[in-house]
Amino acid sequence: MSDPEFDLSDLSKMPVPEPRPVAIAAAKRAALEAFENSTQKSFAPTKGFDFTTRLIRIATKLWSFTMNTRLLSGTALATLLIAPFAGITAYQLMQQRGVVAPVTTEQMVAPPEVLPQGAPQVMAETKNIVAPAKPALPQASRNDMGIVRKAKNPDAIADLKMEESDALAATSNDVIMSPGSSPPVNGPVPMAMEPMANVPMDAAESGYITQAPDVQRLENENRDKFTVVRSNSVVAVATQPVSTFSVDVDTSGYSSLRRMLNQGILPEHDAVRLEEMVNYFPYAYAGPETATEAFMANVTVTPTPWNQNTKLLHIGIKGYDLPVTEQKAANLVFLLDVSGSMDAPDKLPLLKASFRLLVNKLKPTDTVSIVTYAGDAGIVLEPTKASDKAKILNAIDNLQPGGSTAGEAGINAAYKLAEQAFVKDGVNRIMLATDGDFNVGAASDEDLKKLVEDKRKSGVFLSVLGFGQGNYQDNLMQTLAQNGNGIAAYIDTLGEAEKVLVQEATASLFTIAKDVKIQVEFNPETVSEYRLIGYETRHLNNEDFNNDRVDAGDIGSGHTVTAVYEMTPKGAPGQTNDPLRYNTDAAKPATNDSGEYAFVKIRYKLPSEATSRLVTQPVTAANEVKDIAAAPEDVRFGIAVTAFGEKLRDEDQVSNYPYADIEKLASSSRGTDAFGYRGEFMKLVRLAAGLNP
Amino acid sequence: MDAVNSLFLLDDSSLVRKCQGGDGLAFGTLVERHYALVHGCSYRRVGNRADAEDIAQEVMVKLGSAIKALREPAALRGFLLRLTINAVTDHFRKKTRENRGLASYFVDPTTKLAAEAEDQTSTLWVAVRRLPDKQRDAVLLVYGDGATHREAAEALGCAEATISFHVHEARKRLKEMLKEDAQ
Repeated sequence: MSDPEFDLSDLSKMPVPEPRPVAIAAAKRAALEAFENSTQKSFAPTKGFDFTTRLIRIATKLWSFTMNTRLLSGTALATLLIAPFAGITAYQLMQQRGVVAPVTTEQMVAPPEVLPQGAPQVMAETKNIVAPAKPALPQASRNDMGIVRKAKNPDAIADLKMEESDALAATSNDVIMSPGSSPPVNGPVPMAMEPMANVPMDAAESGYITQAPDVQRLENENRDKFTVVRSNSVVAVATQPVSTFSVDVDTSGYSSLRRMLNQGILPEHDAVRLEEMVNYFPYAYAGPETATEAFMANVTVTPTPWNQNTKLLHIGIKGYDLPVTEQKAANLVFLLDVSGSMDAPDKLPLLKASFRLLVNKLKPTDTVSIVTYAGDAGIVLEPTKASDKAKILNAIDNLQPGGSTAGEAGINAAYKLAEQAFVKDGVNRIMLATDGDFNVGAASDEDLKKLVEDKRKSGVFLSVLGFGQGNYQDNLMQTLAQNGNGIAAYIDTLGEAEKVLVQEATASLFTIAKDVKIQVEFNPETVSEYRLIGYETRHLNNEDFNNDRVDAGDIGSGHTVTAVYEMTPKGAPGQTNDPLRYNTDAAKPATNDSGEYAFVKIRYKLPSEATSRLVTQPVTAANEVKDIAAAPEDVRFGIAVTAFGEKLRDEDQVSNYPYADIEKLASSSRGTDAFGYRGEFMKLVRLAAGLNP
Repeated sequence: MDAVNSLFLLDDSSLVRKCQGGDGLAFGTLVERHYALVHGCSYRRVGNRADAEDIAQEVMVKLGSAIKALREPAALRGFLLRLTINAVTDHFRKKTRENRGLASYFVDPTTKLAAEAEDQTSTLWVAVRRLPDKQRDAVLLVYGDGATHREAAEALGCAEATISFHVHEARKRLKEMLKEDAQ
C-alpha cells in the first residue's frame, strides 16, 4: 500500500469565525483595565529595592541558563530550584520593607477589601466570579498570609524575555492565598504546592498588601456620600397635569453602580440614580441638521413590559453633533487633587493615565494648564499649547501625592489660569479631578457652589471627574458640575476614562445648548396618571420652565438624553389615585379630540445666548407602538435600563418583573454594541439577580 | 482622532515601547491588531466560539499586565501565542476539573472537541490531535496559526531548531498514523 497523502497546510483551512466586534471591544476594555493596573504598579515608589531586585535577577538568570542548556529535566529542576528560590524570597521578605509582590490580578484570591482596587473587578469581569464580599477577619488573614508556588511547568518561567518581578507576576503560576478566606474558585488548582515562605507581619504590611489605606477603611464606615433620593410618586393628571424637570447628562451614577455590583455589593436604594444609568449608554436617536436647532426630540409610546395596564412615554433627545471642523479652540485647566488620600492605585495613577488620554485627543491649538492642590495649591503647568504635548505629559507624569486637601485655594488658582488663557467664543473649562476630599477651609459647600456659579457666568465652565471610593462626595461633585455647566463623571477604570474623555470628548467639552428644561403636559382626556422615572434631583417647579434665570442642565455635542414616564391611560384598571369627587368640568381645559397623550415642550439656550428658545412636540397615537417588540432598539434598551434601576431601588411597580426578563429585553435590543457597554450591562443584571436574596 | 490613526501605522515594537511608557491608546491599538491571531489560535484548539472568546479576552488581560515588562518588543506575536497556548491548556485542565466525578473525566478531551466542531473531524485533524503534545503544538502553530518557526519557538519556549525537529518528527508520525488508519 502506498504512503497516505496529506498536506499539513490543510490545517490552516479550518474556517475560523470572524471575531465579533463586541468580543474584541470587551477584551479591549478588560485588557485596558489590566494595563492600567500594571501602570499603577510601575508608578509605585520603589524605595529600598535595588538589593532584592538583583538577587531575584541572579536567580532567574541562573534558572533560564540551566533551562536553556537542557541539563536537567523539568520536574527535577523544579524541585532543585524551588529550594534556593524559596530561600532567597524568604530572606528578602524578612529583610526588606517595601517589596512589591509579584502578584497576578487574575490569580489572586482574597476578599476584595484586601486586594488592590482594580483586582476584584477584573476577576468579576473576566471570570464572572464574585469574590467573597467580606473577609472573615482582616487581621487574621494578614497575619498568616502564605505564598504558595505551583511546582509545575517550570519552563513556562524559564526563558521569558521579560523583566524579573513583573514577568514572574504575569506568566508564572504564583498563587497567593489567604487561608482565612475561601479557597480559590478560578485559579488553576495547584497539583503540588510547596510553601515558600511565611510572610511576616511587617512584610505583609509593607508590600504584599499594596492597599493599606483600604484595609484601614474596613474599620471605618463607608464614607461615600449620596444625596437621598425619594422616587417620584404617581401623580393624577387631574390635579397636576404638568411635569417639569431639567436634563441631566451625567453618567457617574452608572459607573459607581457598576463598581459596587462587581464587588458583590447591592447598592443602597438611595445611591441608584436612574437617569444617569439610562443616559450612560450611547443611543442612535435621530439628530438635528444644523447647530441652531441644537437638538431633536424623539418620542415613543410603548406598552409597559412590567404592567399591562400602563404605557411608557419614552423621550429621547439628541444634541447636534458638531463636526470636527467646527470645533472651537479649547482652554482647559486641569485642577487635580494630589492630596494624600489620592495615593491609591485607583486614584492618582488612574487620574494620570486618564488625563494622558485626554491630552492625546486635543487639537494643537488647544491650551492646557495644570493646578494641583494638596496642602497648598500649586501651579504645575502654566497655560501651554497642546502642540507642546511632551511638556504637558511630562507635567502629568511628575505629579506626586501628598498633603491634605486645600480645595478652595486650588479652585481659585484654576479660575485665575482659565481667565489668563481665556479663549473668546471658545471652550473654557476647568476639569476638576478628585476623590471628593474637598476641604475648602472656612468656605462651606454653599460658598463653593456660589463661586462656581459666578464663574460660569463669566464663561468658565467646570466639569468634575470622580476617582476612588470610600470617601467619594457624590452630592458635592454633582452640585459643582451642575452649577458649573459641566458633566460629573466617575472614573473607575481606564476603559471608563476612554469613554468619557476620548469617545465622548466632544460631548464633554463642547456645549451646544444650555439650561435645557423639559416640560410635559398630559392630556386628562387620555391619561389619568403618570410618574416620571428618575430625575428626582432635577425636579423644577412648573413656573421655572419659562423663567430664563433658572439654571438647568446642558447638552454637549452629540449628547443623548433619555427620559421615561410611566402613564396610566384613562379608564385603565390599576389607578392608584381615587377619582376626584368635586372634579368639575370647569376645571378642565378646553376639550380636545386630538387623542394626544401629552405635549412635550423643551426650552434651551444656545451657548452664546441669554434668552431661551422653545421646541414643542405633541405625543399622538402616531408615536405609539402596540407591542414593545415593535419599538426601536434604543427605546427598548433604555426601558430595560430603566427597569433595572427601578428593580435596584426596589420599587413596587417592578416587583413582579424578574431580572431575567430585563436581561431578555436588553439582549433583544443589544444592537451592534460596538464598545461592549450593553453587553456589560447585561452582566450587571445577572450579577444583581444573583446578589438578590 | 489623529493620535489614534497614526498609531495604526506604527509597527509592534514601537507600539510596545509606547505601552511601556504608559500609553493606553497604543495598547488598545495592539489589542485590536492581534485579537484575530489570538482568537484564531484558541478557536483552532477549543473548537467553539464562546470558549475562544473567553480565552482571547483572558490572554489580552494578561498581556495588559505583562506588556510593561516585555523585554523584546519584536517578539510580541510569539509571546501572545505562548500566552494563548497556556490559557488553552488551563482551559482544558479546568474543564477536566469541572467534570471530575463524572465518567467524562476519563474521556479524552479531543473526542469531545471533535464532536463539537464538525470542521475538525477530518482524518488529518484527528491524527494531529493524537500527536504527542510538543509535536502537536509545533505543527498547529506553524501550519494552523501560520506562525514562523521563530514565533513558534518563542511561543513554546524552545529553540527554533527544536521546532523544525518536532515538525519533522510529526510528519513521520502522521504518515504512520494515517497508514494505520487506512488499513
